[in-house]
Amino acid sequence: MFEKVLVANRGEIAVRIIRACKELNIRTVAIYSEADANSMHVQIADEAICIGTAPASNSYLRIDRIISAAEITDVDAIHPGYGFLAENAHFADVCESCNIRFIGPNSRAMNSLEDKAVSRALAKKADVPTPPGSEGVVDSEQDALVVAKRIGYPVIIKAIAGGGGRGMRVAHNDISLVKGYYTARGEAEKAFGNSGVYVEKFIENPHHVEFQILGDNKGHIIHLGERDCSIQRRNQKVVEESPSPLLDNPKFRKLREKMGKAAIKIAEAANYTNAGTVEFIVDAEGRYYFLEVNKRIQVEHPITEEVTGIDLVRYQIMLAMGEPLRHSQSDIQLKGHAIECRINAEDPFDEFRPSPGRIEMYYQPGGRGVRVDSHAYAGYTIPSAYDSMIGKLITFGKDRREAMDKMSRALSEYMITGIKTTISFQQAILQDPNFRRGVYSTAFVEQLLSGARRELIEVKA
Amino acid sequence: MDLKDIKAIIDLMKKNSVTEFELEKQDFKIRLKRGSNGSGAIATYDDTPTLMAGQVLAAMPVAGSAPQIAAPVTNEQEIKSPMIGTFYRAPSPESAAYIEVGSEVNPETVVCIIEAMKVMNEIKAEAKGVVTQVMVENAKPVEFGQPLFKIRPS
Repeated sequence: MFEKVLVANRGEIAVRIIRACKELNIRTVAIYSEADANSMHVQIADEAICIGTAPASNSYLRIDRIISAAEITDVDAIHPGYGFLAENAHFADVCESCNIRFIGPNSRAMNSLEDKAVSRALAKKADVPTPPGSEGVVDSEQDALVVAKRIGYPVIIKAIAGGGGRGMRVAHNDISLVKGYYTARGEAEKAFGNSGVYVEKFIENPHHVEFQILGDNKGHIIHLGERDCSIQRRNQKVVEESPSPLLDNPKFRKLREKMGKAAIKIAEAANYTNAGTVEFIVDAEGRYYFLEVNKRIQVEHPITEEVTGIDLVRYQIMLAMGEPLRHSQSDIQLKGHAIECRINAEDPFDEFRPSPGRIEMYYQPGGRGVRVDSHAYAGYTIPSAYDSMIGKLITFGKDRREAMDKMSRALSEYMITGIKTTISFQQAILQDPNFRRGVYSTAFVEQLLSGARRELIEVKA
Repeated sequence: MDLKDIKAIIDLMKKNSVTEFELEKQDFKIRLKRGSNGSGAIATYDDTPTLMAGQVLAAMPVAGSAPQIAAPVTNEQEIKSPMIGTFYRAPSPESAAYIEVGSEVNPETVVCIIEAMKVMNEIKAEAKGVVTQVMVENAKPVEFGQPLFKIRPS
């Protein structure tokens, strides 16, 4: 049993992890940068250690300082959250060598899935469909052209070390391919320190459907159903829901089972342990393709928790302590429907410009079937050094209709003043007829923002 | 009842903000319910709530573990910890402390050791002056930015 856990993260996920620890009677240590001294996770942890100045490179990414903090507080384990060092195999190794348990996948699994090209190869070996594309990294523009000719345009050039929707370029012909090849490489080098790129068939306006997996250290792996994350703006998720309305379409009835099995096959091939997510894209004809594995707990994990009744962060901690999985695949049942809206401190009327600053008034929605995972509070100043997500609003209903109605109701109650937020943008999505019918792809937000529905987003003065 | 009548009822409902309408006759029953997405209005939150007008909820109190910014006393300066670890006043348990109150320091003077992961790091003063206060006890853990010593710059 862990006695003390250090949370190597900030914001709402740090609050989430601390809550799970408290419910297990585990003492918690928060780490924070100087910019986060007043942050909620610092207030609710049992101990807190300042580890540097605001920039993440001086604080939340400093392995040496995090380990030092873990040492002086004598913790048993570290939970890395998402982002920052969550998928850093070197950090996981350092923890292990310092006798600190890393609450996440084992480092062997992290290495088997270390980048997108390697993961693609693993999926192919496991006989899971991947988008047609290059065998591995593409080393020259000639090779890129050869691959594009073989698979046919349009293609997408992707950074192998990319993430968060960055480091990608779409090409429709040889000229744009060559241009995109060099641009993507340059961008990747700058953003991720790795210029490796590969080429894949570009599937237009796909649906993004991902499966939550859990694995114990005895090799048992289960999936907890899917999440549909197609509502994205510039490759950043905005609204997520479970189950996927696409997979509920009678035309695609068998897809859920097939994709679930494929997710487990890949996890088994990688000897995966703890929590993870297997991402797929699905085209309009119901063909699915493996994209990558996210080797961490994800932002949108709450919707899976609501429809399965299973606490995923608690499960992560138990699995890290060496406990076996308590559920078999047949124990997993998805009941009802859950939706999550990410609330960002951004101005939807000004190109979603980030809006850091002091929250004056804060009232979060409540009532039956409404959950808010947030670190925000009245009087809190959002620092400008980190991402703009200030919270997640999750609703759960007995069916999709009820979940949507509750979300609209909850969004209308959510009061945040002093900063700009995307609440009105979320409301426009929830009230869009296509969203309500469950008919949408990753092109949805683009269409919403450019179409005549813009006036729906305008807040009445 | 034909479509024209039903349309007329729907218009009447909209005009008079009626949400539900039910009519039952001998061989016929109709129930109309207006959905929440009918009006296209985005609920705004700028209606001033009855309780809070103008008031701001009290900010959360800051926990004691956050570094306190000491009120400046005359022209004293603080030497702050550049790292996380365990603070030691002397190079070894048998040795004398590097500095005491009253010691003179210059930028290169080693003032203490901070130990992290079995590595002893010598911390330099990086300032010139006289030590006026030792702020941390020997062998206690320190965090980034924590004040270690106060000096009066010269």
